[in-house]
Amino acid sequence: MAAALCPCRALLGRRPRALRALARPARGLAAHGQTHFGFQTVSEEEKGEKVYQVFESVAKKYDVMNDSMSLGIHRVWKDVLLHKMNPCPGTLLLDVAGGTGDIAFRFINYVRSVRERQLRRKLKHHQNLSWQEIADSYQEEAVKPLGDSQVVVCDINKEMLKVGRQKAEHLGYSEGLSWVVGNAEELPFGDEKFDVYTVSFGIRNLTHIDLALQEAYRVLKPGGRFLCLEFSQVTNPLLSRLYDLYSFQIIPVLGEIIAGDWKSYQYLVESIRRFPPQEEFKEMIEDAGFLKVDYQNLTSGIVAIHSGFKL
Amino acid sequence: PQRSFRAAAALRRPAEEQHKEPAASSSQRQFDSHPADDAPEPGTQDAWASYTGQDGQESEDSASEEQLQHRILAAALEFVPEHGWTAEAIAEGAKTLGLSAAAAGMFRSDGSELVLHFVSQCNTKLAELLEQEQKLVQLGETQKKTTDQFLRDALEARLRMLIPYIEKWPQAVSILLLPRNIPSSLSLLTSMIDDICHFAGDQSTDFNWYTRRAVLTGIYNTTELVMMQDSSPDFEDTWRFLENRVADAVNMDNTAKQVKSTGEALVQGLMGAAVTVSTAARAQRAECFWSLPHFMSVHFSSRI
Repeated sequence: MAAALCPCRALLGRRPRALRALARPARGLAAHGQTHFGFQTVSEEEKGEKVYQVFESVAKKYDVMNDSMSLGIHRVWKDVLLHKMNPCPGTLLLDVAGGTGDIAFRFINYVRSVRERQLRRKLKHHQNLSWQEIADSYQEEAVKPLGDSQVVVCDINKEMLKVGRQKAEHLGYSEGLSWVVGNAEELPFGDEKFDVYTVSFGIRNLTHIDLALQEAYRVLKPGGRFLCLEFSQVTNPLLSRLYDLYSFQIIPVLGEIIAGDWKSYQYLVESIRRFPPQEEFKEMIEDAGFLKVDYQNLTSGIVAIHSGFKL
Repeated sequence: PQRSFRAAAALRRPAEEQHKEPAASSSQRQFDSHPADDAPEPGTQDAWASYTGQDGQESEDSASEEQLQHRILAAALEFVPEHGWTAEAIAEGAKTLGLSAAAAGMFRSDGSELVLHFVSQCNTKLAELLEQEQKLVQLGETQKKTTDQFLRDALEARLRMLIPYIEKWPQAVSILLLPRNIPSSLSLLTSMIDDICHFAGDQSTDFNWYTRRAVLTGIYNTTELVMMQDSSPDFEDTWRFLENRVADAVNMDNTAKQVKSTGEALVQGLMGAAVTVSTAARAQRAECFWSLPHFMSVHFSSRI
């Protein structure tokens, strides 16, 4: 299985560069190109539709499936991403392809706790406060628990956003959270609006990754940070075998049992194999103009967090 | 080449841009005149990129990157008294440069880079100060200080740089002592002590080289500890402590020298005594030689 995967990786090595060369001069023309959908080759228009259908059909079961397929580890990965981001109160976050709000809710929790800690420290610092001052500080906390932080969840898929909204209502998140339908390749936002751009487990589903990276660069403020959590190449050969076995033999079965959808999960594992490995993706991010790009492998590279700055 | 125009636009000064522009555009022109321009094969494009000076571009990028990082850290120092040696201070510093607070993510979250930046900045300042002083002495405008005064003033000048941050300095010390940061903090400390020794005129190449530096490092670190506990106006107690410790060290040096010279005198005295004794013994033996039979004298001399 692993050997069969290698040729497509080798093929893929050249691909994004050639694709970029095509996409830059004329965006309209690029629509006639060929791309991949899992291991199939499809036209670029078709890929968008197919991906949409996949996520439309899995939206309701998306979270359950994530838990069962990754044995809950995806939660740790997302926590690590937030820890790496270390947002301070006042941060504006754009979470692209964040339909069910996993990153957004974590962001809100994180900022809330940072702010609480800051206020506590402030209170400790001025030791003899009047009751009035203490009351004021608590009020401030009650009024602005996030300290002007905002998270915008942008997803092209309405079904996924719907699930996310329901979840937010259920969990009681309302403030500092907005939901926007939008394409990562043409974000519906002005230039230099956000402090942090995240995309977790979404970028590999895009038809033009380079366009999405350029858009990320555009909407970030100077000094802003790009963070991407995505499946990547496993570095450990032994684990790689096991991982391939698990991916191709078990995940589609789980998909069929839990979500009643074999094909979508077949696509999922295939798209992971199609995504460029760490170093190559790093180069792509650098090509979009980001500086200080690095990546951190999690769980031997099953996923990797890429980080870059717009300076 | 595409990247060169967009990347790092925020930190490039116009002057830099001017001398960079022609280089970039000339490489662009070369690229345009490339025969396979219309349909560049991926292979040739790759090969091309590697010798259009992309490497040079990269190193320039990283140089300006570093420059920007230094500027962020320098700006962050202003916020240390309020936020401590933390990512928050760095975020505030980044904001003053018109950057997003997220730029603080470039640095480690424990604030170690901020502390190390501050320490190395202080060391540079101290070296400049001492150099200036040396120049004045060489020009004959000021009197040359005695060694103990020089050491005391140098250490005091260095410690005075901590005063604006003294409230948060214990935190900085704890960060510097984290195992991960020890190599860099130790090298900064030794280079600072080296500078002081150099300007104090230490030219020893023997074992003294080590003892002097060790003693000076000890004085610096203990005085730093005293300083953090000191609540006297303008840290008077600290400076008195420093004065005493430097005096102790100089005394110790003197004592060592005295011990050495005393020892030498003692050895000389003993040697002299021994020579006297042996001479006397020989004289006595000479007397015996005449009074005793010949075979006895042979036996005697073989025993001595």
